[in-house]
Amino acid sequence: MNKVKNTSLHTRKKRRLTNESIWGYIFILAPFLVFALFTLYPIIDAFIISFQKFKPLKTEWVGLDNYTKTFKSSLFYQSLVNTAVYTGITVPLSMMISFVISILIVPLTKRKQNFFKAAYYLPAIASGVALSFVWKWIYDPLPSGLLNRLVLFFGVDNQNWLGSSSTAMFSLIFMAMLSSHGTTIIIYIAALLGIDNSYYESADIDGATFFQKLRYIVLPLVKPTTVFLLITSVIGSFQVFQNAFLMTGGGPDNKTTMVGLLIFNNAFKYFEYGQASAQALVLTAIIGIFTFIQFKLTGDNVEY
Amino acid sequence: MKKGLALLLVIVMSLSALVGCKNNAANDTAKENTKDGQNVTNAPGDQSAGDAEDTITVLLPPVSPTYQDYFDEWTKGFHDQYPNLTLKIEAASWEDVTQKLDVQVQAGSPPDIAFVGAGTIAKYIDTGLLLDISNIATSDMLNDFDQNILNYYRNGDGLYGMPAYAEVHGIGGNREMLEAAGVDWKKVQKEGWTFEEFREAIKAGVIKDGNTVKTYGFVFACSGVAAADYLNIFVKNAGMPDPFTKDLKYAYTSQNFLKLLEDMRTLIDDGSMPKELSSIDAGKRWNMFLTGQTMITGKGLSVFERSAKLNNDKIDAKDGSAVEGSIKADYIILPVPTFLGNKMQAAGAIDGYVMFRGKEEPTSEHLSNVAKAMYYLASGKIAAVTCNDLYISPVCETGRQAMANVEQPEGKNENNTEAAQLLASQISEARTDITPELGAAAQKISDEVMVPKFQALLANEITPKEMYDAVKAAAIEAFGKDGVVVD
Repeated sequence: MNKVKNTSLHTRKKRRLTNESIWGYIFILAPFLVFALFTLYPIIDAFIISFQKFKPLKTEWVGLDNYTKTFKSSLFYQSLVNTAVYTGITVPLSMMISFVISILIVPLTKRKQNFFKAAYYLPAIASGVALSFVWKWIYDPLPSGLLNRLVLFFGVDNQNWLGSSSTAMFSLIFMAMLSSHGTTIIIYIAALLGIDNSYYESADIDGATFFQKLRYIVLPLVKPTTVFLLITSVIGSFQVFQNAFLMTGGGPDNKTTMVGLLIFNNAFKYFEYGQASAQALVLTAIIGIFTFIQFKLTGDNVEY
Repeated sequence: MKKGLALLLVIVMSLSALVGCKNNAANDTAKENTKDGQNVTNAPGDQSAGDAEDTITVLLPPVSPTYQDYFDEWTKGFHDQYPNLTLKIEAASWEDVTQKLDVQVQAGSPPDIAFVGAGTIAKYIDTGLLLDISNIATSDMLNDFDQNILNYYRNGDGLYGMPAYAEVHGIGGNREMLEAAGVDWKKVQKEGWTFEEFREAIKAGVIKDGNTVKTYGFVFACSGVAAADYLNIFVKNAGMPDPFTKDLKYAYTSQNFLKLLEDMRTLIDDGSMPKELSSIDAGKRWNMFLTGQTMITGKGLSVFERSAKLNNDKIDAKDGSAVEGSIKADYIILPVPTFLGNKMQAAGAIDGYVMFRGKEEPTSEHLSNVAKAMYYLASGKIAAVTCNDLYISPVCETGRQAMANVEQPEGKNENNTEAAQLLASQISEARTDITPELGAAAQKISDEVMVPKFQALLANEITPKEMYDAVKAAAIEAFGKDGVVVD
């Protein structure tokens, strides 16, 4: 009798758990379908296309040809170097600037904090094309250009900001640094506000200076945020495309051709989808390796 | 719970059934058309092709300033002419038309007709979706067009489009400034000018205020890939109308190419062109023309006369929408100078209508209907209206005849009209002997070496010789030592 009762209870529990599971699966079905359709399927398809010469009517299997071409292409290596330089300068500097701005915003009143958060986030919601128009006006190469008026004021000749190899990359980096702080600042402010006041009070009792508090309290406690921002920023920066496409087209002499732009050109300008897919997957692998190294170097003692 | 799942399944299955209905309907129509089409396989483009209802899809950019305003009228006119056929036109801007078309082509579902430059057909041919119309359009249709212009749409043995117009890419000047600089522009329009004459003219056109240049002699839009236009337009007058000679050797390894590069660099070193030329885009240089910051500008199109006139009218009417700081400027069409004693070879931009198929095999009846629509758009009144709007002459006989009944733009400069016609007659011969493979290899050298190096040359970062050597090395690698010009 007891055995029968236990079995019945077990079945009821199992059924209840199963019902809950089904509802759970239904709720995650929508995001999973979106992920499968717009992320997983394209990745798998790109992987397959990278071994093909893709044509709408008759696709040919070309084996590793697209990868061979990619690794033999000097332009691919140049674009990798350009992207690395862009990332290497933009990401750390942007993060430092964002962190400093966040430190300055946090002590303000809630209303002032919101004003500055909105102000810094505004470029993130503005159209990239509209922003590029503004920046092209700023970088006008003639003496009447906005930035050139500034440098002329200091006795320096007007500069061909986007047309010269010596200034084109700097111009893109400068543009990125002044218009990409919004998200980072908001995340940093959230992290800074999450630090318990008792730490600062203890430090004050011990007579710690501002920089000592920064070094021994703030930096260690926002480290998980910093690691997260660093990794996502590096991933985003390696995929940079829009600025180079709209501002320089990759020139002069391919000095600002980023990998993202190269992939776009191969796919949509030359219809070389196979090669574009191969380059995209190589880029994915590079980003993966970088991310792994970053985790190894900076991820110790960080919990998510 | 079960009810919920059942409901979900019912909805999904209902939607699937609807999708199935649509596909079946399309298949049925296709089958029907195939059956009818068998009778007309040998009568392409003929009006007797069949009376089955058919819809022809078209993707069109704003070809001329008022082109898209006529779509409803043209759609109705086509339906009146062919009551069983419907023209469904999708308008697109110049900014997104290529990307839109490319995505549709790669997805295997392009429109039946698209507006594409003759210079870009090779990449669409490679997809297998661009159709050879030589056996689809009737000979009457094809004979209507000027054959040299039509030939621009030939590739190998195939013919892939019908031209809407042939626009000359040249340069243009401010009449008042040209006269002040002592340029006899009417003579130049008729007889052309050499590089040396051009160089002196633009030197004379420079106006300085102390050390500051107020007006340059010549400004060409060279920002980004536009640099290719500057080089491609000028190189034709240096004895190299095409990247390949008649015996199919790559031409830009000739010493003439080096001399051309040296001459082009000289214009900047003279101070007649801005040293920041590599960053000046099309909008900026037109602004410089209208605000009197340059005497001559490029690339120039006939329709710029209209744009300049519109701005002049706004200045006269004290209309606030006139370009800020602009002055009244009469646009004068000018030919590109000739180099090293070579003859004038105008750079023609031939744009027109091309025919696509989708992944499904189209019926011959449908193709015949599409050919009718293509010809309808490329010829007669529509050609006349379009070309009139662009201040150029049609490139088909029916268009020229219809032009007589189209109202001419008020105050049009007759000298410009004659100059445009003369330049159109000097458009270099279409090269149908250059194979798609050779064309693709030359394009690759242009994109990966010539344009980037030319940008660097304009920015004074490399010498003409360094650019020439880079192009030569790339050409030898692509075509071998025997495949390039050695002189």
